[in-house]
Amino acid sequence: MNIIVCIKWTPDTSEADLVIESSGKDIKKDSLDYDINDWDRFAIEEAVQIKEREGGTVTVVSVAPEESEEMLRESLARGADEAFQIWDDAMEGSDGYAVASTLAQFIKERPFDLILTGTLADDDGGGQVGGMLAAMLGIPSSALVSKIEVKNGTVKFNRELEGGLSESMEMDLPALLAVATGLNEPRFVSIRAVRKVASIEIPRLGAQDIGIDQASIGAAGARTVIENISLPPEGEGAEIIKGSPDEVAARLVEILKEKGGIA
Amino acid sequence: MKNVFVLAEHRNQQLRDATWEAVAAARKIAADLGIEYTGILLADKVDAMAQQLAAECPKVLAVEDNAFASFNSEPITQALTTLLKDRGPFILVMTNSNAVIDVAPGLSVYLDAALATDCFGYEVRDGKFLALRQMYSYKVNALVSFKNAQNIVVTLRGGAFSFSPGAQGPGAVEKIPSPLAEGRFKKRFLGFVEAEKGDVDISAADIIVSVGRGIGDEPDMSMFESLAEAMGGVLACSRPIVDKNLLPKYHQVGTSGVEVKPKVYLALGISGAFQHLGGIKGSPLIVAVNKDPKAPIFRVAQYGVVGDLNEIVPALEEKLQEAKK
Repeated sequence: MNIIVCIKWTPDTSEADLVIESSGKDIKKDSLDYDINDWDRFAIEEAVQIKEREGGTVTVVSVAPEESEEMLRESLARGADEAFQIWDDAMEGSDGYAVASTLAQFIKERPFDLILTGTLADDDGGGQVGGMLAAMLGIPSSALVSKIEVKNGTVKFNRELEGGLSESMEMDLPALLAVATGLNEPRFVSIRAVRKVASIEIPRLGAQDIGIDQASIGAAGARTVIENISLPPEGEGAEIIKGSPDEVAARLVEILKEKGGIA
Repeated sequence: MKNVFVLAEHRNQQLRDATWEAVAAARKIAADLGIEYTGILLADKVDAMAQQLAAECPKVLAVEDNAFASFNSEPITQALTTLLKDRGPFILVMTNSNAVIDVAPGLSVYLDAALATDCFGYEVRDGKFLALRQMYSYKVNALVSFKNAQNIVVTLRGGAFSFSPGAQGPGAVEKIPSPLAEGRFKKRFLGFVEAEKGDVDISAADIIVSVGRGIGDEPDMSMFESLAEAMGGVLACSRPIVDKNLLPKYHQVGTSGVEVKPKVYLALGISGAFQHLGGIKGSPLIVAVNKDPKAPIFRVAQYGVVGDLNEIVPALEEKLQEAKK
């Protein structure tokens, strides 16, 4: 079972104070912390667990700039056998389609049975790359996958629907599954595990190395363009209660009492 | 643009409610562009659903095939590709449901279409269609234009468009023979798996204390349980808490979890992602405590506290106990 895992390098914006840059087309990212997209961490763990049961290899690949090497190094420490970084300055401005085109070009000459990735990325929330990549490679795919079982050339899996309902499905291999968070517990990575993989080379491949033309990558190959971004209107918003924890708590009790929030 | 198409979604031979939001969006987009819109129904038995759809669409294309019964993305994608490939340039509108999430990305590749997912609105500028969606933890709105493709596929965030019945009378239903070849699909539906039932039913609770990612990596869950108990409510959570195995899945509020309709919702360390808010129905009083003053939850809460949960939660429980005396 040879598995390829596609991962993304994303800024953590969950608790950051976001500022729009002067172009009006993106946020300022220089002060944000970057890490592996949370959903993709589950994809790596799942790939490594399948390898541990079935044998084979796990290859991790990301279309991401130089500084993302630590994420690829960590993937090796998590149990991947090899990792590739694909980047070219011309890949700046990629949308889901351009990233999928780039990954498809890299993957199409490599033998594989299964591709895993996260369903969504925390930054753009597009959920596009997995399904597009599968279509470009001509293999079946499914997203929001919460359980995976590989058996005799097929993969049986559950995918999440709404309201706690799931559907059980089966696909012929090779196939692509985009996982949901929570389908496993990503392992703890010790410093020792990172040291053990310190000498593994992580090849850095440009557009020429993978044989994709400039018109297909980055902003040139993208099918979507962000014209402008804006912070949503504040609206009425919440009435913010200020004071010491005791003062705040006392006011909250008043509000809750009034609105039936204490049974 | 020549056409706007809208795909009807169904489960167990019933149109899903979100279909009507997509119809509402298609109708509005078509009106703004001065073109027609057409409903598309791919189902195992089309007659009843096609009539329902035609009541709200000037034209409906209906294809009947057993392969569509479970809304399996493979036959749905194949049929849409055949059906639409010579009808461009078009905008295809679909819901951003978990079923459609398996359809839209692949379909956009086969149809030579640019794709924008989870859109909450759109703009028309100089006759061109642009989509509105959110990015970066739902903190930023982005206006997206399209290029390098003949067609556009958009999927819509649930609740973003509201439907009201139109008055144009029933449209024509055109039944089209199934373009699908006989044989096995690479992707096969096996069955539904019902949600695990737990010892509490948060969907029936009037008072909910709900915890999210902001409670930290090693939270003291007993502190929150005890607050919920002091309020006479139940403890619920957002998705990251279930992912970390801090609470079982049946405690999760959201579109992929449980829908709740409490009177009071106390949101602790919950950022307010759309998927979470989508599970809260019936306009409860929302009180939010979060250390990030820009958290989207503060846009929907009536009252907010910016601060440290480890200080505020114990203080709140103490005041609640005092108030009960």
